Amino acid sequence: MNSNPHDPMASETTSDSISASVFTTAEETLRLIANLPAPDGLEDRVHAALNAMPRRSRVLTWPRALRAESGWMRGAAAAAIVFVVAGGGWGVYTRVESTQMEQNQPAKVIVMPPRMPSTGGLSGAGAMRPPLTLPGPAAPQPVKISPAKAAKGPVASHKTNSHSGHSAATGAPVAEPAASR
Amino acid sequence: MSTSQIFVAGIAAEWMDNPTSAVNDEARQRAEDAALAALVDQYAGALYRVAFSVLRNQADAEDAVQEAFVRVLRHRDTLGEVRDHRVWLIRIVWNIVLDRKRRAKTRPETDDVADLARVLPLKGLSAEEHAAAAQHHAHVLACVDQLPAKERQVMMLSAFEELSSVEIAAVLEISESSVRSRLFRARNLMAGLLDHERSLR
Repeated sequence: MNSNPHDPMASETTSDSISASVFTTAEETLRLIANLPAPDGLEDRVHAALNAMPRRSRVLTWPRALRAESGWMRGAAAAAIVFVVAGGGWGVYTRVESTQMEQNQPAKVIVMPPRMPSTGGLSGAGAMRPPLTLPGPAAPQPVKISPAKAAKGPVASHKTNSHSGHSAATGAPVAEPAASR
Repeated sequence: MSTSQIFVAGIAAEWMDNPTSAVNDEARQRAEDAALAALVDQYAGALYRVAFSVLRNQADAEDAVQEAFVRVLRHRDTLGEVRDHRVWLIRIVWNIVLDRKRRAKTRPETDDVADLARVLPLKGLSAEEHAAAAQHHAHVLACVDQLPAKERQVMMLSAFEELSSVEIAAVLEISESSVRSRLFRARNLMAGLLDHERSLR
């Protein structure tokens, strides 16, 4: 039924429903088409078509050292890696060196402003006082009375209050007694 | 002399060395051309038959073969990496003819009959017998065209005696078991189609 030695289905049993004559007819046609001879001169025409194709031509060719097959790209990549690693190591080394140089120098002292002594028993919790150069608001000063006046004053006022008919609450001026004239 | 000067001098020496590299390029190009010419001489006929089995037109099949070799010419740098040139070339031309078949408008069956009558061998047949045979084959091919694409492709490639099931699987990029199952389904469908056509007559 099938003369093709490479046919994958040659060893398989086909379905009973398949008519052998129909099956052979179809495969004969396909095999006939597949075995048709190529037209004469096909190879020559293909050669001519290929020769008519533009070739890769270079006026200047790359020097051998710069071609990809010479391995220059691999060498350049290796050099770049070495450069990055060495540069990073040098950067770390110089930074550590400068830190050590700074440690050998005397430490810088920052002068803090002197703290004002607190007046009370409690501390100021580090609060800074305002500078004393600024004029602050003037507080009303209490009137100083001499001790002699202080002793005499209350009696006279008591007398005045007793002779006058005014109440102290009215605050009206008190008339001088006739004896004081 | 600094390092950069040494490098530039080396490059200049390489530029001066151009004749040698040009000779190498020419030799390599000649070798590639010779390899390509050998492929054309060896496989052009087989590729044509594969192309004709799909396109069923002499001129179109020949164009497909030329296009396949032009593609090979463009990628001739990879020729050394190909293991089986025959299967590789058949896969190229197979993709080309499928693409052309997809883009082409459906041809009437009468064109197929005329083309087949032109290319079929006479084998001592009379003119009437020859015409009847061409019509019969065109009718069978029309039934093949009614098959699903996957089954049709496997059935057409299996008609080539030089292609094993492994090679058909490589051309279609499927497994060998898929080739077997698709071929089995194609034969069943084909028998049903031909029986149906015969009963209508």
